[in-house]
Amino acid sequence: MIWTCDVMVIGGGPAGLAAAISADKEGARVVLVEREARLGGILKQCIHDGFGLVRYEEKLSGPEYVERFIDEFRSRGIEAKLMTFVTSVERIKEGFKVTLVSRDGVEVYEAKSLVLATGCRERTSKQVFIHGTRPSGIFTAGTAQHYTNLLGQLPTKRCVILGSGDIGLIMARRLTLEGAEVVGVYEIKNTPSGLTRNIHQCLNDFNIPLHLSHTVTRVFGMDRLEAVEVAKVDEHLKPIPGTEEKIECDALILSVGLIPENELAETLEVRIDNRTKGPICDSNLMTNIPGIFACGNALHVNDLVDYVSESGEIAGKNAAHFKRAENKSVIEIVPSETLLYVVPQSLNLNGYINDFVMYFRSNRIYENCIFRLKIDGRTVFEKRYPIVRPPEMERVVINLKGINLRATTVVRAEIVRDEE
Amino acid sequence: MAGIRKIQRRLNKKFDGRVQAVFEDGIIRLTGELDNWDDVVAACEIAATKNSLVHVVNDIKFTGGEIPPMRVPSLRDNALNGKTPDVLIIGGGITGCAIARELSKWEMNVMLIEKNADFAMGASGANDGEVHVGIDLKKGSLKQKYVLLGNAMYDKFCSDLDVPFRRPGQYILFTQLWLLIPIFFFYIRRKYIDGVKSSRFMWGSKIKREQPTFDKKIKFGIYNDNAGVVCSYGLTIACAENAAENGVEAYLNTAVLSMDTNDSGNIIAVHTNRGTIKPTIVINAAGVFADDIAEMAHDRFYSIHPRRGTNSIQDTKSANIIDCIASVEYASVGSLKSKTKGGGIMRTVDDNVLVGPDAVECFDKEDTSTYPESLKTTYTKQKGTVPAASERDIITYFTGIRAATFEEDFVIEWGRKCPNMFHCGGIQSPGLTAAPAIAADVEKIIVDRLSKKREILQKKKWTPVRRGVPRLKEMIPARRSAMIARNPDYGIIVCRCEEISKGEIIDCLERPLCPPTVDAVKKRIRPGMGRCQGGFCQPLVAQIIAEHENIDISEVKKSSAESVILYGENKGGAEE
Amino acid sequence: MSTIVCITCPRGCTMNIEKAGSDWTVTGNACRRGRDFAIAEMTDPRRTVCTTVRTTFKSAPALPCRVSADIPKDKMFDVMKEISKVTVSKQLNRGDVIIKDVLGLGVDVIATSDLLTQL
Repeated sequence: MIWTCDVMVIGGGPAGLAAAISADKEGARVVLVEREARLGGILKQCIHDGFGLVRYEEKLSGPEYVERFIDEFRSRGIEAKLMTFVTSVERIKEGFKVTLVSRDGVEVYEAKSLVLATGCRERTSKQVFIHGTRPSGIFTAGTAQHYTNLLGQLPTKRCVILGSGDIGLIMARRLTLEGAEVVGVYEIKNTPSGLTRNIHQCLNDFNIPLHLSHTVTRVFGMDRLEAVEVAKVDEHLKPIPGTEEKIECDALILSVGLIPENELAETLEVRIDNRTKGPICDSNLMTNIPGIFACGNALHVNDLVDYVSESGEIAGKNAAHFKRAENKSVIEIVPSETLLYVVPQSLNLNGYINDFVMYFRSNRIYENCIFRLKIDGRTVFEKRYPIVRPPEMERVVINLKGINLRATTVVRAEIVRDEE
Repeated sequence: MAGIRKIQRRLNKKFDGRVQAVFEDGIIRLTGELDNWDDVVAACEIAATKNSLVHVVNDIKFTGGEIPPMRVPSLRDNALNGKTPDVLIIGGGITGCAIARELSKWEMNVMLIEKNADFAMGASGANDGEVHVGIDLKKGSLKQKYVLLGNAMYDKFCSDLDVPFRRPGQYILFTQLWLLIPIFFFYIRRKYIDGVKSSRFMWGSKIKREQPTFDKKIKFGIYNDNAGVVCSYGLTIACAENAAENGVEAYLNTAVLSMDTNDSGNIIAVHTNRGTIKPTIVINAAGVFADDIAEMAHDRFYSIHPRRGTNSIQDTKSANIIDCIASVEYASVGSLKSKTKGGGIMRTVDDNVLVGPDAVECFDKEDTSTYPESLKTTYTKQKGTVPAASERDIITYFTGIRAATFEEDFVIEWGRKCPNMFHCGGIQSPGLTAAPAIAADVEKIIVDRLSKKREILQKKKWTPVRRGVPRLKEMIPARRSAMIARNPDYGIIVCRCEEISKGEIIDCLERPLCPPTVDAVKKRIRPGMGRCQGGFCQPLVAQIIAEHENIDISEVKKSSAESVILYGENKGGAEE
Repeated sequence: MSTIVCITCPRGCTMNIEKAGSDWTVTGNACRRGRDFAIAEMTDPRRTVCTTVRTTFKSAPALPCRVSADIPKDKMFDVMKEISKVTVSKQLNRGDVIIKDVLGLGVDVIATSDLLTQL
């Protein structure tokens, strides 16, 4: 039996939920597919607060934030297929043929459009080239968080954290509160990767030292981790011989970066941006494959869930309105070298572009600067910032009403010094 | 021995009288003191003759570091005390397990013991999985004999055991045109004298057509279409399972601590951490510790010098860069030694790309640490084979230790001073390929020996066929649905990278001899082998194990009893 | 003069605060909440506590919870200790009180997830 729907949302985390709700609001028949037994994605285990400040002006914990969406999702009666795994997606004339596996067996769905809300995964110790033995006690921060917050189990009594990403900082506080000792947080770069407020409330509040320009080079222990070797790094991020120090600990917790999960997208020939590691999308958050939309951390790694939800809403709405007949016409947005990336990477000329949301990160810290969007050399949007930092994603809403856009138009995004 | 004076002269020249060589009991024993391990190896290599049965025994005192004693499991009980098997196999690697499986067809008591928490924890677990053709081996060695026999047995070996096996072929590639004539002669010799019949000489143009991802600088090469790939630990475990299904008793976490021998040199008692075993025959398949086990039986007539090799595994996403086994080989003028041992690049049977291994002498037989240099060496070389090979696609890397003798050949013979010990020592690459052939030979030898005492009959109910855990991912939808209808757990995907269901994990735990650990499940059916390396599924697998074994999740280990994952319930700050 | 990094929102303003008579002068803050935070840091620093509480439910052994309002910073570990004494056996809803007026601080420990109601 082949089932059909207008929009199939893959992933039931904050992005997928928002996408499903917004597509439903537009009148589409929506099916959301989620691998796990419960909706909510990674927010189920993000029990700390700070979510929803932009959207609700409240400091919510992860579950509180996402359960608001789950409540709305349920009250709208949107169909969710839980404990269901997408094994393959094929492009067909009318859209997409999605094969699902669940306790009900293998099912095939046909969907007019797809929203990829598959989130991201963590980089592992081997992906940052840590060498040594293969003991237990090496966890990514998310895995440690799963054990601690979902299973109520302590994965360490004395640990070293590598990487000052937000999850690592949050876990430093969390494990300290649970009685573990966090010997220190080591960061290879010379600036922290996580939000400033997290350095303060997660490390400084508990006197946990942050060692910048340091990394973990080796791990020791045949059974459980017994120690790690840390070393100072030079400006090329290479360990400086002679600066090694061995630290006894039973766990190494890694917060060394997130990678958007786009394995499914890649099988569909969705083009991936080397900078974001997510699909290249237009201002409707549609990928190069007509009918496939992307949002949330699968699109690019966000630091605020509010924007994850927002991108889900944009993708969901546009997926609901997607019409196969239209010829896709886009113009690329070219970021200057002062930008780490911009999302979306192009403007969709079919959709109407009154207001569109743009996210960007600078390639390094700039004080007193301006973010600008130029069309054929003419500034159509600008915003001043006292400071921009790579770890902190910025968001702007750009209105292009009345601007004539053709396929030959050159669109450029840049960060420049504020001369005033 | 006439040559011993010559050896001593050469040793004196290099080590200034610090190393002495004596010829006794058909072996060359080296003594003395050196502080550099590479010197110890070099001294022994000076004394050794390739493939010779006159082995070098290394008694040189190494003062440059501490050689740790063999690690012994913490488990202490008497579960095996007083057991009297006909055959006791020491070592649960591919050799020991393949022998156990062959012996299981006979009416005899076979016991296999392995000191680690699982099978295939040594070289068989950290192997590149290549089924070799023997292109690097000259006629006359045991390696060469068994690699040819073993390779030919692999299709049936793997299909009986339900272990995936492919023969994607192997290319040995050359960029230096001046090597053409010597390599061509080498190829003729291998093909027509050494019996590697499948060898084909190939020009670069043809190679490029067949393998467009190979480096453009390749001028010519030798291709063997019957080189294969297999999962070495999967195969080892399959042998152990099949042996167990046929009545072999196998025990993990069981280490030999010492042995008693009688006046005629026979072993009368084997003391383990789980009691004393009194076997009729002992098979020494102890890998890197084969010489230590031999020593316990006062029969150490060869020495193992551990040689570590590190392999890197790339994401299946990068699998399109290669669909076979290949390595480019370089030579400098004057050194025309075949060097196919320098590692290669291949598509594994699980569709990852594997790069490696390198070869580094080391003194610690169990130090399976990795070092950045290994990745550098292997990738530098293999980018010359396939330029698209990239460290950025690496998802993991691991080290195995080869159990090399100084003669670099296998030792497959009865003890020289201990008549009831059969040695399978020095089994390094191509030991995986050789295993089925070695096992078949050892089976004959053991049955012959035991038949002198009593009549040994074949078991009536023996089956060589083992069925592994079903692989739902590979089934057509209708069959998969039918399986899920029977057991809905097959529909719950636990490992997203490798698409492994809860049902498969539970099946795995119910297989014979599966330790209830995260690593054991990972080695058998692959949850955690993918790009997230268990980041997502490890907690789920641990929960399934805990539920299945009816233990607390904090009792679930990674592998050994000491490899704790969790320290119990959150303390909630209650403890000071 | 003290320098304080605001943790009220992800913006994380770096602020300077100085006592001017009975009042405080705060600079570097982008909003009113920053000023309030800076003054609180000087006079009565407070933090939230987000953690989990043990449950009797096998499939959900930990229930997320937090304090209903910020508590004095130096009481965080004491509150953790109180929470660790509790085991939830009812299917509490999001917002339900787990510990009323914890340690007499005038705040409750409340559930932050409805996960137990979904079992």
